[in-house]
Amino acid sequence: MKSETGFDPALFDRFPTKEERPPGEIEELERVWRAPRGWGLLTAVNNNYIGTFYVGAAFMFFVLAGFLALVMRVQLALPLQGVLPQETYNQFFTMHGTLMMFLFAVPMMEALGVLLLPQMLAARDLPFPRLSAYAFWAYFIGGTCFFMSLFFGLAPDGGWFMYPPLTSTTYSPGINADFWLLGIGFIEISAIAGAIEILVGVLKTRAPGMTLARMPIFAWAMLVFAAMILIAFPAVILATLLLELERALNWPFFDATRGGDPMLWQHLFWFFGHPEVYIIFLPAAGLVSMMVSALSRVTLVGYQLVVLALLATGFISFGVWAHHMFTTGMPTLSISFFSAASMAVSVPAGIQVFSWIATLAAGKPRHNTPTLFLVGGIVTFVIGGLTGVMVAMVPFDWQVHDTHFIVAHLHYVLIGGSVFPVFAGLYYWTPMMSRRPLSERLGKWVFWLMFAGMQITFLPMHLTGFMGMPRRVYTYLPGMGLEPTNMISTVGALTFGVGVALFIYDLARNFRFAVEGTAGNVYGGGTLEWLPNGLYAARSIPVVRSREPLWDDPNLGDDVEQGRYFLPGTPTGQRETIITSPIRAEPQYLQIMPGPSVWPLLGALFTAGFFLLLTIQAYTPAVISGILAIPSIMRWLWETDRPVAKQEVDVGGGIRLKTYATGPSTHGWWAMIMLLIVAFMVFLMLVFGFLFVFGVHPEYWIDFNASGPALPIAAVYTAGGALVLLGRHLLQREGSTLWSPTTQVLLGCLALAGAWILDFALWQDAGIDPEASAQGALIMAFLSLEGFLVGVAVLMGAYLALRTSRNMIERPRSVTFDVTMLFLVYTAAQGAASTLLTRLFPGGL
Amino acid sequence: MRAWTLLLGGLVVWTAHFLALYGVASIFPGTTIANWLVLPLTLVAVAALIFLLRRSVVQMASRDSLDRWMGRLATLGAAISLLAVVWQAIPALAR
Repeated sequence: MKSETGFDPALFDRFPTKEERPPGEIEELERVWRAPRGWGLLTAVNNNYIGTFYVGAAFMFFVLAGFLALVMRVQLALPLQGVLPQETYNQFFTMHGTLMMFLFAVPMMEALGVLLLPQMLAARDLPFPRLSAYAFWAYFIGGTCFFMSLFFGLAPDGGWFMYPPLTSTTYSPGINADFWLLGIGFIEISAIAGAIEILVGVLKTRAPGMTLARMPIFAWAMLVFAAMILIAFPAVILATLLLELERALNWPFFDATRGGDPMLWQHLFWFFGHPEVYIIFLPAAGLVSMMVSALSRVTLVGYQLVVLALLATGFISFGVWAHHMFTTGMPTLSISFFSAASMAVSVPAGIQVFSWIATLAAGKPRHNTPTLFLVGGIVTFVIGGLTGVMVAMVPFDWQVHDTHFIVAHLHYVLIGGSVFPVFAGLYYWTPMMSRRPLSERLGKWVFWLMFAGMQITFLPMHLTGFMGMPRRVYTYLPGMGLEPTNMISTVGALTFGVGVALFIYDLARNFRFAVEGTAGNVYGGGTLEWLPNGLYAARSIPVVRSREPLWDDPNLGDDVEQGRYFLPGTPTGQRETIITSPIRAEPQYLQIMPGPSVWPLLGALFTAGFFLLLTIQAYTPAVISGILAIPSIMRWLWETDRPVAKQEVDVGGGIRLKTYATGPSTHGWWAMIMLLIVAFMVFLMLVFGFLFVFGVHPEYWIDFNASGPALPIAAVYTAGGALVLLGRHLLQREGSTLWSPTTQVLLGCLALAGAWILDFALWQDAGIDPEASAQGALIMAFLSLEGFLVGVAVLMGAYLALRTSRNMIERPRSVTFDVTMLFLVYTAAQGAASTLLTRLFPGGL
Repeated sequence: MRAWTLLLGGLVVWTAHFLALYGVASIFPGTTIANWLVLPLTLVAVAALIFLLRRSVVQMASRDSLDRWMGRLATLGAAISLLAVVWQAIPALAR
């Protein structure tokens, strides 16, 4: 067998070990991994707790959004109903879509990832437990406040896509739109934090021997899901920032009268918005693939093709965003390309559907609740997929655009492709974290009510759309033939609601959270999450030799429980997990993990406070909250990156691993690279906006004669980056003093700040006015973005200096130093690039 | 890195080809220049995909089981991308 890291795979043959484990090992594991109690639970970071909180919160938002839908359906049951006034109806449909997409669908997938992945990969936890906690609290606090806006009449009312000019201050003068823009921008930051955690977790914390070919399909799905979030979500973060800047500061990015263009919003939004559909679908498809195999008691048919389908969907989904814009007058040729891609994306989805059907046919599926939800989900999703191919055809789309046909189509896709699989998953995995499984008898009722409700609601809605009823209208006139189908849809929606209510009753009756003494592997799954588990996950981390290890090795559970595999105890006396290589999962080093802490909670609270207070224009409290967020986050980080006394430890079978590592193959480095990909995508989207606006309205662009200082400013940025690299070089040299590497970094920060100030001041001298034209606004946006990065870079430099002053920087290599270096070098590179672009294009070229 | 490049190469080429087509259609809207540019772009993409296909087919013959598995996946990815690239270019080439 080949090796990826130099590790000898033959060493895996030492497991399971034969000798008895020393007494007291389990007690020590339990002590180290013990979760806080009472109010202290708020500081818990274990994935069992955070994952359960996360799933619970996402489900709560699903119920709230569903309730809004029911009220809307009652309003539409008959013509000229007076249940909801027009303005409130607008707020309801906006909040329904926003909650379902941003606060239920994506967070639910991340939540399931946080909850299931560590157990599925047999890791002790995901690599950054405090980041998971921060992501959850930021989402929960931000989402709850966002929802509460409905009770004050301040909820956004521009639709979940918030198109300008409808959402400009001219047509939406209140702060309703600001709630959406700042709230969603903030919540997406939390989603990105979760995605980084999942991506690094899947690539670096898999059990030894779990090669890419042996990875559970859900882990593959989450890998693609998280990568897609890193690429797609920056677009919506940038879009919301630009629109908020337009509203708050009158910078006309989307105002066609001053050289902006509302189409820029649509491009940015849908570059995020369509991949979002697959971001929701792929993890659900991963769940289906896992469950369909376990419930049919046979391996998944076409595992490799399903992996290919997941990867292909991830790529192709970025080529379909403009199919939401077929009616906007884009060039015919562009539309043709997007139409072709929209049809092509159905191929990988079809591969998965055929795999599921084949698996069901090849196995012996049992008549139980999760199987019902799976089959119901597949049927519903296929119907939605077929209408999706219909609307991918441009002439057909022109006919049904913005009608109830589209509402029916998207609900078939999302409920069939996401909601039903999630419910199947809740039934299937609840025994992993509850003393009792959910009721099979009630579950079947829940399924049939939800399935029937779904079809009764949305099948007639296709006809309502064909008859010409537009979306997002709060009522209709009698005598237009719309009454019967609308009434049927309302009855269906209420039926669906009863099904969900019954599910909540079932939860209340049977769900009893537990880490130990759970109901266990009720459905006979073959993957590692069904190993006996505690707060430390599995007692020992097994060597994985197949895709369904529990089916292939009936003794595995016992051996794991007896500590006969990796890491049977806690050799450093702290929380730890094994970091493995990304392709062959060879053990690399032991990661020391942080324990419970109040700081991620406080960091999330103050970050949320900053955004929410900004929304209601309480500027001073917002600034105070923002300032408090910084030390909270630094304090949380302060306790990390602390090497232990033992440099190497035995992790079982006589195999010794290092307890500290940094560099390109380590988890901290990877996480920072992923964060920088996010930053780069924001920058790239801004470059797209810059070129797009110039392409559409070149007549508004003026030559500022600003190209002269471009090279000198870029040179100062480059010098800043070079100083930081010199600092890292010095750190590795034994002869350097305590402060000399950090001093180079601080000088680098100084150069970055100097370059930015110079750039800003020279633009001011050139007479740039961000309110006068989109050109000026975009240049100021580049400066603002770079200014933000420089500000963070300076904070990181200060943090590094503080740690240096306490002699907390390891030599010859330090994780803190490395991640600071990566961020600063990126900031320098982006600063130079944005200076050259804004000063040389178009006049200087 | 080489392993990932081969594994995802086909899909990356498909994405690059798509973005290039979108780019030319946006830079030269409503002109035949865009249609003409699609042809060389597609030929370059097809050539890149054939190169990747040959590499991945070679990997499929590896003695290592994981290499073989990744080779098969890369071959499938490149093959489906080849189809997608041609499919993608048809709207321009058929005019």
